[in-house]
Amino acid sequence: MRFFQHFTFFFLFPQWEQMRKVSLDSNEEFQRKNLAVHGLNMLFEHMASNYRLEFTALMAFSSLWELLVPFTRDYNALQEALSSLEDYDKTCIESALHGVSNVFQQEWGSTCACQVILVTDGSLGIGKGSLRHSLQTMKQRGEDKKFPLPFPFSTKMYIMCVASAEELQMTDALDNLEELLRLSGGDGQIFTVEGPLCMKSVHAMFGRLIDYAYSPFHAVLHCGNLSSDVQVFPRPEPVVVDEEVEPMPKTVNTDLEIMGFIEIADISSPPVISRHLVLPIAVNKEVDEVGAGATDDLDDEPSASQVAGKSPNFCVLLHGSLKVEGMVALVQLGPEWYGMLYSQADSKKKSNLMMSLFEPGSEPLPWLGKISQLGPISEAAENPYGEDDSKSPFPVQPQVKRSYAQNVTVWIKASGLQTDVQKILRNARKLPDKTQTFYKELNRLRKAALAFGFWELLKGVADLLERECTMLPDSAHPDAAFQLSHAAQQLKLASTGDSQYAAFDHNIAPMHTDFSS
Amino acid sequence: MSFGKMKMFSVSHKTVFVVDHCPYMAESSRQQVECDVLTKSRAQGVIPLAPVSKSLWTCAVECSMEYCRILYDVYPKDKLINYIVSDSEFHILNSWRQEDQSIQELMAALAAVGPPNPREDPECCSILHGLVSAVEALCKITELQHEKRTALMDTAERVANRGRIICLTNAKSDTHVRMLEDCIQETILEQNKLAAGSDRLMAIQQCELVLVHIYPQGEDTLVSDRPKKEISPLLTSEVHSVRAGRHLATKLNILVQQHFDLASTTITNIPMKPTLNVCEQEEQHANTSANYDVELLHHRDAHLEFFKSGDLHMAGTSTRENGLKETVTLKWCTPRTNVIELHYCTGAYRISPTDVNSRPSSCLTNFLLNGRSVLLELPKKSGSKVISHMLSSHGGEIFLHVLNSNRSTLEDPPSISEGCGGRVTDYRITDFGEFMRENRLTPVSENSHNPSGKLPFERAKSQLERYTRYWPMIISQTTIFNMQAVVPLANLIVKETLTEEDVLTCQKTVYNLVDMERKNDPLPISTVGSRGKGPKRDEQYRIMWNELETLVKTHAAATDRHQRVLDCIIACRSKPPEEEERKKRGRKREEREDRTEKNGNKEAEDKSWQESERLKSLLDKEDQESEVIKDSPDSPEPLNKKPRLMAEETQPQERAKGPVSLLTMWTNRITTANSRKHQEFAGRQSSVNNKFELYQHLKEENGMDVHENGKATR
Repeated sequence: MRFFQHFTFFFLFPQWEQMRKVSLDSNEEFQRKNLAVHGLNMLFEHMASNYRLEFTALMAFSSLWELLVPFTRDYNALQEALSSLEDYDKTCIESALHGVSNVFQQEWGSTCACQVILVTDGSLGIGKGSLRHSLQTMKQRGEDKKFPLPFPFSTKMYIMCVASAEELQMTDALDNLEELLRLSGGDGQIFTVEGPLCMKSVHAMFGRLIDYAYSPFHAVLHCGNLSSDVQVFPRPEPVVVDEEVEPMPKTVNTDLEIMGFIEIADISSPPVISRHLVLPIAVNKEVDEVGAGATDDLDDEPSASQVAGKSPNFCVLLHGSLKVEGMVALVQLGPEWYGMLYSQADSKKKSNLMMSLFEPGSEPLPWLGKISQLGPISEAAENPYGEDDSKSPFPVQPQVKRSYAQNVTVWIKASGLQTDVQKILRNARKLPDKTQTFYKELNRLRKAALAFGFWELLKGVADLLERECTMLPDSAHPDAAFQLSHAAQQLKLASTGDSQYAAFDHNIAPMHTDFSS
Repeated sequence: MSFGKMKMFSVSHKTVFVVDHCPYMAESSRQQVECDVLTKSRAQGVIPLAPVSKSLWTCAVECSMEYCRILYDVYPKDKLINYIVSDSEFHILNSWRQEDQSIQELMAALAAVGPPNPREDPECCSILHGLVSAVEALCKITELQHEKRTALMDTAERVANRGRIICLTNAKSDTHVRMLEDCIQETILEQNKLAAGSDRLMAIQQCELVLVHIYPQGEDTLVSDRPKKEISPLLTSEVHSVRAGRHLATKLNILVQQHFDLASTTITNIPMKPTLNVCEQEEQHANTSANYDVELLHHRDAHLEFFKSGDLHMAGTSTRENGLKETVTLKWCTPRTNVIELHYCTGAYRISPTDVNSRPSSCLTNFLLNGRSVLLELPKKSGSKVISHMLSSHGGEIFLHVLNSNRSTLEDPPSISEGCGGRVTDYRITDFGEFMRENRLTPVSENSHNPSGKLPFERAKSQLERYTRYWPMIISQTTIFNMQAVVPLANLIVKETLTEEDVLTCQKTVYNLVDMERKNDPLPISTVGSRGKGPKRDEQYRIMWNELETLVKTHAAATDRHQRVLDCIIACRSKPPEEEERKKRGRKREEREDRTEKNGNKEAEDKSWQESERLKSLLDKEDQESEVIKDSPDSPEPLNKKPRLMAEETQPQERAKGPVSLLTMWTNRITTANSRKHQEFAGRQSSVNNKFELYQHLKEENGMDVHENGKATR
């Protein structure tokens, strides 16, 4: 599956049965809803600090769905909406999924990928509109009432059950949820509460989700001995190269090694499987370094982020130079997997270091050739870019030209054949001026006719040339008549299939006459 | 490249064409072609040539060649064709090898075969010879299969062997077709047994037979069409009954699209005006300036977005030829002058024009091959326009690039100037640009051998490692890289090997520096410094020499010649003051020891004073340069220039976060090495969080002049 890495994620929220309450040790009763809200708050807090560029939307659903917060990066708004969540009447997952599909496509189109988090207490609704009912009837429906899964965009669905696996297994809830996951494309997971249902166990469950799906991708960008700690956002996902030959997904290394640099014109808008921001990060070691008793000195110390802003960082240097020079850095992501780093301007003021990933493989861009065969220019006898940067060793030319670049002969349409014959006749009338072109076109036609076993055409064209010969005006150059009858004779000989005259590689040469010199 | 997720070894990896060469194929297709098109002016009194007509053989050959042409255009690699001709025996015209995969090869081989001989005994001739041979061919291992099997070792069984047989023949009846199918099925079983005991053969796991029955125009077919059906778990078969000529061409065009997941795009509104230089005008069209359409075939994933979004029906798709073929219409956007831009492109697919040598097609392809790119616009139902694709050629191949037109999560990201290192204003942007140009890449022939045994890209990485052993990122961190005089040495010392001449150049550079020092030439370090005069001249040179030594030391171990450059520096750099300093230091140490008893940790010496002065001047310099240097387009001016803590600026290595980089390790090592040469600033030694109040003893000792040079403290 092709994966466009534009993560966006979405949120589904179920109805909460007010009746189902959980007893805590203190005899204080917590609704499952409250537990879920706590879990979600934890997730939002994590994202606010580690995943703040992610767009998130929040939806509540029952028999109808309601978009509580449209896609945003404002995690406060999301948390606020959570705190004022109302209770709803019943659970109807299908309508909610329709809602997700509509809202997401309207906002993002279908090339972006979306993570859908469904938070549920495990009750799937009753009767018509329940998940059970939806799944049972989905095969008997017409085009217009199709079940919304799979979505037309790449989806990862995480189902967070504020219930234990044992609880879910008492009904067919788990089976139905698994079916839902499978229908979504299978790329997701069901999380259930482990141990007794309480704040701690729900936190643990959301913690597992964070580890699984929302852990930031940290890496070190190297350029020889220069390096910088970076976060790659959104996090690069594993890619399956060929499900049959290489079923193991390839993952991006946490050491990103720059191999060298290439002009933007030479890399020329390459196709990429995903794009990521490369954000320099400061790994905080401050605590260890600050000895006891030094605290009073720190009073007027600038904040940690200000300090980080002021210490030179390789990413900023690289970005600045890439931007000024109009170049990209080729970077190795893993064995036989490459990408490029470049400056991406969002507006006149804002620009950023971006990394795009190429399709895994040894030769992701034909015009660069094999990446492992790219070496330093210093090894070349002569600078391949020229002393004044006027040349370039790219693009790499393929060994065989494509059909449109090599003047192939196709006579499938009558017009193709007519054009070729007319071209010969036009040049025939301009002999001896056009002798070279005349024979070039003649030989092209001859070759094709021989390959296609179209001997009849060779005879026909020979007849035409003989006719032209008889029609030459008195003013014509005497050489014209010689060349025409020579060409006609040669075509006739070829049309017999006699190997002496019908060899494919043989070319009819202009007749040597006293006039041609 | 193709991003189509067709399995590497799907049935499309191997295609065998089996073309009937029996006497009946010499029959006329009865489709006549008028090749003598007389112009009006010449029409008088000339009897036009009788129309020619192609034989069934000619039709079969040219349509199969067209199939191959499209295939090779779109998949120049790893989608292979084996062409077999069958009469009284089989003739294999090429092999699975990559070098045999070209139209020219096949055309030459076909010319050698020639048209069927109508006088040959029909009883001896059969398509069966070719079909049996086709099954054998499918068992033969291809280069890619071999390569992957070797690479996978233990899991070599993941490499599948599937293939397709396209049989162009004139069958006698449905029964005849069934006989052919049975025969193929039997041969597969036989050959699979043989293959089990061979390294160069592979058993066939799946074979798809596509039988195309060709009959002359005006006749009724004796064979009925039949959709794909399973003959056995190994073999599926389908039958197409087609009239020779135009119909056959259309059929094979549809088949190549189905077999290789192709789709069609029609570029519309292509202007062919002389002003645009798109097309060289020919006489008969001299006055036309109409807009033309050109149809292109390419992998269908180029339309993925339309399929997903359901935009396809609005996107001017048209259905032709009994609903068998669809095309998406995209509008030509007249290109701007060559702007070099990095588009966000989600796919690039090779194209093949459907009608390759028609005038509009060749005009478009030549225009692109000349290096121009064309953006393509998708007309939307709403009337709005969106640029969805781009046509561009790379190295003589034309690609249809898919441009992203959706929103993404990456919109409105924070600027790099807001992050780590974003406030620093004196990055060596220009120098790093120069560094990047020196570290550009170039393709190296696979035949060229390098003594290191490393692949070119490994050598490129080694070069980056060498070039960055000592590479200060900001201007205020370096003296030598701000000096023109050091350039020859700095450029040479990073090389893997040095020539005698290189060593000489380096030595000359060093002598030149010595000369500068003797003449007391100013160094870039001292020209700035608004507060005070900055470090003294000899101190400046000491700093410069230290830095130069640091640079060269990182390379000294490479070769003897590198070492000689270092030796030269050590020998030439100002020794006498060094010795004096040692003496001074000795004296100072005694003094300090005295004071240490009195003042504990609080003390300083002239060495440390010099050090601190240098640091100050660096800070001053940076303050100044932050206004001068506009190199870094993304770093804003510092907001407030409150005095910085020197430790922060000059000892980044101690503040480095995260894993220690090589640079840090080096810097640390150099610092350690340097510190061995001088007494560490006592304040630094006893500093708390790299901060130490200077000249505390002055307060305590009430202005006692401890500086031997007599220079008063400020």
